[in-house]
Formats: sequence, structure tokens, C-alpha cells
Amino acid sequence: MADNEEFISEFLIEASENLDQLDQDLVALEKNPHDPDRLASIFRTIHTIKGTCGFFGFTRLSNLSHHGEHLLGLLRDGKLHFDEQLASLLLELVDAIRTFLTAIESTGKEGDAAFPDLCQKMDATCLLATARRNNQTEERLASPSSSTDQSNQPDDRTTTVPEERPVVSTISNDQAKDDKLTPAANPDILSRSESTRFNNTFDATIRVDIQLLDNIVDLVGELVLARNQLRTTATNEPALLNVVNRIHTVTGDLQEVAMKTRMAPIDQLFNKFPRIVRDVATACNKKVNLHIDGSDTELDRTLIEKIRDPLTHLIRNAIDHGIESKDMRSVAGKSTSGEISLRAFQESGQVTIEVSDDGAGISVDAVSKKAVEKGLVTDDAVSAMSDEKIFQFIFEPGFSTANAVTDVSGRGVGMDVVRTNIESIGGTIDISSQRGIGTVVRVRIPLTLAIIPALIISSGGERLAIPQPYIQELVALRKDGMNHMIDGLEGAPVLRLRDRLIPVVYLDRWLGLREWKKRPTSGTVVVVKIDNYEFGLVVDAVTTSENQHSHATETTGLWFIVVKAISSLLAPIGIYSGATVMGDGSVVLILDLRGITMAADIPALTRHAGDLKSTSEERREVVQESSRYLVCETHNGHRVAVPLNQVQRLESFLESEIDPAADSRFVKRNGELTQLIDPDRVLHTPKELGKESTGSLVGIILPDELGNKAIAVRRIIDVETGHGSLEKTAKKRGLLGTLLVGDSATEVMDIVSASQWAEENPLS
Amino acid sequence: MNSTVINTSEARMDQKRCCTFLVENTCFAVEADDVTEVLQRGVINNVPLASPAISGLLNLRGRIVPAIDLRIFFEFPAAPPSIKQISLIVEINDEWYCFLVDKLLDVKPYDPHQVTPPTNESSSVLTGVLPDTDRLIHLLSPEKILKSLLNIRTESLSVG
Repeated sequence: MADNEEFISEFLIEASENLDQLDQDLVALEKNPHDPDRLASIFRTIHTIKGTCGFFGFTRLSNLSHHGEHLLGLLRDGKLHFDEQLASLLLELVDAIRTFLTAIESTGKEGDAAFPDLCQKMDATCLLATARRNNQTEERLASPSSSTDQSNQPDDRTTTVPEERPVVSTISNDQAKDDKLTPAANPDILSRSESTRFNNTFDATIRVDIQLLDNIVDLVGELVLARNQLRTTATNEPALLNVVNRIHTVTGDLQEVAMKTRMAPIDQLFNKFPRIVRDVATACNKKVNLHIDGSDTELDRTLIEKIRDPLTHLIRNAIDHGIESKDMRSVAGKSTSGEISLRAFQESGQVTIEVSDDGAGISVDAVSKKAVEKGLVTDDAVSAMSDEKIFQFIFEPGFSTANAVTDVSGRGVGMDVVRTNIESIGGTIDISSQRGIGTVVRVRIPLTLAIIPALIISSGGERLAIPQPYIQELVALRKDGMNHMIDGLEGAPVLRLRDRLIPVVYLDRWLGLREWKKRPTSGTVVVVKIDNYEFGLVVDAVTTSENQHSHATETTGLWFIVVKAISSLLAPIGIYSGATVMGDGSVVLILDLRGITMAADIPALTRHAGDLKSTSEERREVVQESSRYLVCETHNGHRVAVPLNQVQRLESFLESEIDPAADSRFVKRNGELTQLIDPDRVLHTPKELGKESTGSLVGIILPDELGNKAIAVRRIIDVETGHGSLEKTAKKRGLLGTLLVGDSATEVMDIVSASQWAEENPLS
Repeated sequence: MNSTVINTSEARMDQKRCCTFLVENTCFAVEADDVTEVLQRGVINNVPLASPAISGLLNLRGRIVPAIDLRIFFEFPAAPPSIKQISLIVEINDEWYCFLVDKLLDVKPYDPHQVTPPTNESSSVLTGVLPDTDRLIHLLSPEKILKSLLNIRTESLSVG
């Protein structure tokens, strides 16, 4: 009986795959009812199921599929016309068969469900067709529309026939031949369809147990290791060396191919959607056309499974809430059937999936209002935000209350869950929408979690991998001062890159791999950006290839590495996200850049314009977040502090450099004019005695978002840590309050209002 | 790489088996059932900033396994070149770990009732001590070793 079990499980796998295909075929058939290939393929599937379960003794399922087969036979022979009702009936049949298959899978028995109603409905439809043919009339016939009608007269099928709903109209008046139901009786259609099916799938793919594939991947790993040992022991014997080299190449290729077995086309997921769209649209009483594009896009098997639920949710949402009702669409001058398009494509090492609809769109105002009501953001702040940013509130947990559904044209139900799911696999999601035109939801996910493009660098004798998606650029360090390191604030090194200063970390020293007194002048800076951090990692070299064979493309130096989890033992270090095994069998750690920003204390980038213009409350929070301040002495000898995270960089000027031709105090740098703000004037501080001009001053360059502005001070005293909370003293413009910075109370400047002040007082 | 097949004979119901080994002439042991294989020390790749007892990571047929040098863990001097260390691969909660030891001795059946638990159980990484013909066997608890390594790590992080 063990053999039987094996056959049954094979039957189940094949049948459920065929049923998925049926879903697609039936939905497609609705659009093009006279496609003989599809009809034949549907017929064939049901016929196979009937035959196989008869063999295993599943009489109920066999009986059900027999009824279905009969109906399909008539349809195929053109005695029935395919319409929406018939489609629904057949989809119902597919679902009923699925119920049986589930029962068989879990219990080994087909269960008690017999679906008498469904059988009767199908028979009734068949009889109608036959009756129609016999009567030779053009009148339209109807079948019972609900199962309750059926159960009233369960024994007499013919009497249930004439009812209100038109189901069938016959086209052909040929004699019905029951034996036409066997494939042999209709060689024309079947042979054609079989040949296409075979060409499409059967001869190109075979079914393989996933476990088996994973075993192959593991075994190839072992082979790679053995190969590497072979290479290290290889002699100078030329013949042997040749063979070793060939084994080396072939093993490398084999490894690559084995890795590809993890990838699968997204079609596996996309082909479920036509049925879902049809069902949801019918339930909502809407007409929706689904366009699918890029279903051959490949990504990791495990990821496909993980995006199934979020995508289904997005599509349901698009139909339910995005597409308007037929009436509303007519009023808006749109076609009554809505369009939903599902698009997948690869883009810079990621897969982007777009779900777009041509529905009513989302009202920015409604979302903003809701966000403010919910206390997620202040009124002022929201007015400065971009639409995309505002739409992000839709993903906030609790945003999706029942009221919000109507307020924001329905989006937001469970969207926080969607976002959580997408983010858990390293993806992002965003929405753009135009009122009246439609909505696009864009999901970006990595191609695979298992293989990532990375740069392999060496530092202090160690090799480490840096994931490529975060790498901005590579800068070679040169002695000629073209791009030299300079000491930034607090003596921390920064790289001057074009006109920005980027904090850098010397990886060798930071990782304790090498000690040095004098800063090295050779090497490469890998500039990375992650979240709100941008920094450089100084490394000895970037490894571009490995011997004659490598997985790297020489031109870019990129490697595709297989990510393996590392032990929880190493998790507390917090700077490694995994490891990979290189071609030579050695283990290379993958740097966790997010972890490094924390461990190396990298300052966050200054906020963008939108955020800077937010309320003073928020700014105060920003200031408190930044516990460190640049303490400086103003021209009049006054001590002020500027939050360090709002300082772009520092530059020195000579007083003579200040452009006298301009109406206000400007200084020229890099060909542009920078307005200087004198804190003494903003804060009205009195001049202290003995503070004469030194002829030079230091400009604290403010973030670009505030325009070209710098706070001009006499000198920088130090960088200090602020203690306690900010005290709001006298309400003075340009001042956030007073704080204990270092060991004395210091006034903390509000650079935003100071900058506004400067705009209003250009002649300062 | 030489694998040693662990002797499965003479195991009685009330008896357990332990795999005994030497570290700086002290006899230690782990449960034999936890040991999946024994190899000669191969290439171990350094993990910067890891605690000193973690020698690094080794590639075991594509599986990445952290190696713990028991000499360093017990604060013995590092292995001199004359000692060819042995990798004891131990499975703990579905994860593999490699313990580096000086010399593998034997697989011995023992009676769990004869194990004397350590005096200060909370701070010890031993399950207990077992008398043998001419010496004591220190029965290790790999879980406790891992736990203590994780603690060392977090402490030093909070300091630095």
C-alpha cells in the first residue's frame, strides 16, 4: 500500500497544479469563449482527475468530476455556450474538487462531502442543452440559480430546468454522442492541445522535491571544498594540473547552477491572481480587467511565498476600495470596467512589483486630516510634507479604522500588516496616487535573501563583504591631496567628497586588526549610505577576482555571494549580518552597515527641508536627540552652542574675504555666495571688552536645505555633551533655550529661525 | 579530514556515554550524543571583535560553524605549535559548534548518579565531576559555555 500512497501524493500534487491552471483557463475563457485549446485543456484536466480517482476508489470525487466532464463535453462540442454563469458553475466545480483533494491529503479519504447541489446544477445545465437541441427552438432556457431551489425538488432534475436565469444557449444542433467525451472521439482538438501543452511545459520541466534540490546545493558545497583542497595539494605535473583546473572551473559553474535552482519565476504567484480578481470583483459587483506584466521575473522561492499574502491584500484593496462602482465610473467619464495592472521587473538588484489601478485615487487631504487627528503629526508639519510622505501614514498601525476606510477612499485596511510583512524580508513599500486617476502601490524586495551582490574588501589581512545596494561610490585615497582626509569635528576623520564632508571609519583599526600611529594615505574609501546615515569605510583594497575563475564580473568587482546565517554567538557583536563561503572554502563575514552606524557612532545626516520647517516643538525634540553640541564663541565673545547634527561642516574665512560689494555679509566659496549670519545680531548680545577682531572667523555651514548660509563665529571652543533638558528661557528669536553643555549653561541656537531672521534682515 | 566513529556498544538503559578529551592535561567530557563528528583542526577564519575564546568560523561542508577554543575559554595558555588541536563538532539546539581541544581520549559509559554537581552551580559551566580510574572527568555543559560567552560579549560591549 505504500506504493499506492506514493501514487496518491503524486496525483494530489499534479491535480492541484492542474486546478490552478483551470482557474486561469476558465477566467481566460470568459474573455475568449471560443478558444478550442483552452476548452480541450480544461476537459482533459477534469477527465484525468475522474480517471485517476476512479482508479484509487474515490467514488464521490469520481462521480463529481464525471458530471463536470459531461458538461465540459457539451461545451467543447459547441452544444453549450460559455458565459459568466457557466464560468461560475465550473469554478464552483474546481473549488469542490479542491475540497476533496484537501480531504484526501489530510485524511487519506475523500470525505463525506458529495456536492449533490452542484452535480444537479451541472446536470440541469446539460439537460437544458440537450432539450434545447431537441426542441430546435431559439428560446432561452434557464436553470435554478441557487441551491435552495434545487433542494426543493432534489429527485426530479428535469423539472428544475425552466427558471428565471438564462444560462445556456445552444449553437450547434448536432447529434449528441456521449462517447465523444473520451479523448479518442475528438482527436482534432485534443491532439492539438496536447501537443501545445507538451511543448510549453512538460518537456521543459520536471517536478523535483525541494528537499532534494537543497541537498544538491549542500553537496555542491562539499565538492567545492574538496576541489579547493585538491588545488592546494596539486603538483607541478602539467597533466594533473590541467585536470585540476578543469575540475575547478566545472565545480564553480556547478555551484552557480545549483544556486539558481532556488530561483523561480514570479508567475507561480501571479497566476493565482486572475481568479482572485474575478472573485473579488464579482463580490463587489464591479467589472475589473487584470493586466499582468513581467511574470517571468525570477526571485527566490522562499520570497515568493512571503509576498503572497501582502500582494493579495493589495489587489483586494485595489478592487474593493480603489476601483469605483460602475455608476461612479460612468459619472467620472471612465469606462465601466476598471483596470488593475500587476507589473514585476528587476531594477538594481531588486524586484519591483507594482499594483496599479485606475480608480478614484487617495485624497491627500483626507489622509493628512486623519493623521493629524490621530496625533501622528502636527498640522504645521503635515503641510510641508510631500504627498508620498503623507501616504506613508496609511501604513501606520491603527490608521485603518472603519472610518478611515471611507475617509481615505478605503485604503488602509491592514496596510500596517502589509508593510510589516514586506519589511521583514528587507523590502520597502510606497504609494503614489492622483485623485480621480488612480493609485500605484510599489513594493520593492530583494531578489533573494540567499544570494546578494557584494563587494569583497580586504582590511588588515581580513576579507569582509559589503552588500552592494548600500554602496554609493568608491574613492581611492591619493597622496596628492586631491581627496584627502581631514580631521572633522572632535578629531574624527572625515572625507571631503566634492563639497560634502563624510565621516569615515578606518576599518582595520576599528576592528582591532592593525595598530598605526600615522594615518595611512593609501587605500580605498567605500562610501555607503543606509537609512539616514552616510559614511565611508577605509579599506586596504577591493578584491576584484579570484584566480582564473570567479563569480565576480571583473569590470565592476561585484561578487554574488551566498548568504549564510552565523551563529547566535556572534549576534551580540552587532556588526555582522551573516557570512559567506568563498571559492577557496574560506569564510568571509558580511558587514551589517546598520550595526556599524551604531557601533561606530556615525552621526545621522541632517534632516531634509520638509522636516526642518516643522514646528519648534519638533525641532526641540531633534535637539534633544542630538546630545552633542558645537560650542563656540561669537564675535562679541558670547558663548553659544549649535546642535552638532545640524552642522554641515566648518570653514574658516578671512574677514577680508567677505564680499563688500553685496548688500549684506556674504562670502564667496566654491563660486557661490554664502550668507553669513552673525549670532550677536540675531541674539542682540552686547559686545564684551577686549574682544577685538582677529581678522578671521569660522563659518558653521548650515544644511543645504536652508540655503547657502553659515553662522559666523570668532572661534570654535569644543564639542560638548549636553546634560539635562533644554530650558526655554526668554523667548528670543533664533534661540531654542538654555542647556547645560559641558559644565556651563549655554544658549542653544535655533538655526532654522536664525536662518529665517537672516532672510528677513539681509543687511545684518 | 579524519572522522572518528563513536563506539556505540555497551550502552545500558540507565547509563549515558560521554566523550572525554584533554585540554592542558585536564580531562573534560561532553555528552557523546551531542557530538556529531570529530576532525583535525582545519582553517578557521578570524572574527574581528569577537570574544577571545571564539577563534573564528570554520566551513564544515558549506555550514558555517563557530569555533570555541577551550584553552582560551578556561584561561589556559594558547596551544603551542606542538599540539595539533582537534575539532569536536557539537550540536546544541540544532546549531553546530566546534570545540577546539588538545587531544581526544575515549567514549566512556557512565552512570549519571555518580556525577557530583559543581558547588556553585550557577557560575559553573560544568554539569558535574565524574570519578575515573586515575583522575576526575569534568563533564561540560555546552549550553552553559555558550551562555557564558554571550554574557562576556554583552558586558564588554556595555563597557566599550
